[in-house]
Amino acid sequence: MNLKDPESMNEVIGNVLRYGVILSAAVVLFGALLLTASSGSSDTSGILTYNPNQVPHGNYDVSFQGLVNGLVGFSAYSWIELGVIFLIATPVSRVLISVLLFAAERDRLYMAVTAVVLALLLFSMLVTPFIPLFKA
Amino acid sequence: MRVETDHARLLVVEFVILVFLVSIFAGIFGSIVGLGGGVVVIPVLTILLGVDIHFAIGASIVAIIGTSSGAASTYVRDKVTNLRVGMFLELASASGAIVGAAVAAYANAPALGLLFGVILLITVVPTLTRVGEDIPASPELKGLAKRLGLKGSYTETDGRQVEYNATRPVSGLAGTACAGVLSGMLGIGGGGFKVISMDLAMKLPMKVSTTTSNFMIGVTAAASAGIYFARGDVNPLIVAPVALGILIGAAIGARVLLRSRNPTIRKAFAIVLAVAAFEMILSALGVMP
Repeated sequence: MNLKDPESMNEVIGNVLRYGVILSAAVVLFGALLLTASSGSSDTSGILTYNPNQVPHGNYDVSFQGLVNGLVGFSAYSWIELGVIFLIATPVSRVLISVLLFAAERDRLYMAVTAVVLALLLFSMLVTPFIPLFKA
Repeated sequence: MRVETDHARLLVVEFVILVFLVSIFAGIFGSIVGLGGGVVVIPVLTILLGVDIHFAIGASIVAIIGTSSGAASTYVRDKVTNLRVGMFLELASASGAIVGAAVAAYANAPALGLLFGVILLITVVPTLTRVGEDIPASPELKGLAKRLGLKGSYTETDGRQVEYNATRPVSGLAGTACAGVLSGMLGIGGGGFKVISMDLAMKLPMKVSTTTSNFMIGVTAAASAGIYFARGDVNPLIVAPVALGILIGAAIGARVLLRSRNPTIRKAFAIVLAVAAFEMILSALGVMP
């Protein structure tokens, strides 16, 4: 594949999205199967309770350590969370790949545009959760 | 208005299957009109299943990313999505989303929700007056739009190669910035403004507008996904069937769009836009969760 060919940009970006989605769907499906297999005759009340006064608001662990432990222990919730993280990472990877593709095309204008979008995206995802201004 | 259902009595398996089926439907519509699946997912979860609105918004964020990525892989390959228009407008939606998240704690959210809802409802009118339009008369490519290369071509259902140019890129940016503020603040509602910016301001063909909006909404939603995830608003029990259903729906919707004519897509968009606007207004007025 010739990266300098503008036609191949559609192909590369299409593939990044496609594989991201397939990976994410496979992991979520695995988690959903674990969930239904282990749920038996239990109802949804325990997991659907929203706790406004505590963070996180749900009855499941969203910390990194909790996620890793859950994955190792085949916890359905942790596997679903991992699949969702892959899904969230898909559009981010798409923007990152776009920067590289425009760089390969030597299109400086769009390389700058996509690099700024990537910076705004990463700032918003990774930095704003730690700034008090953004804590609603 | 609110139907009280005791969701505690639903078995986990029943809940998962129900949400999965609704999400397939949401993915089909969301991927065709460029709004993501939240318009369908949020009211079904809150009104019919009694799920807390915060969990519903967390699920909507996942639904939007799923619809966007799932359908975009097809739209981008078939070159209906205009990558340059999408990436240029993402500058505005990504900046707007950060502003929206920052003001969320201080702004009067119901008042802003009401304002944006009414604006969306008003834009249904110019959308509908052009309902029979197939391909808009393409303006001359000049100024900033020319410098940015905001033009493109795609193959219509009957095999015609449609060439088009964009106009008024600054108005498009302004409309998309509104979309970003709305998404960052409420977690919902950005897609409508994106399609309108490209359709009414930039004069792109309807198909290009909805698929390019679909391409962009995933990035806008991903920008705020980190905060919702950390807060614990992304509930695994809800998002598992939502993600799987939405991805299947988006794959179906993408195939339907490529076989549909622009006037049909415009009608579907006007209907979903009106529903989304009513949802925002009712929610701002406190009638709906």
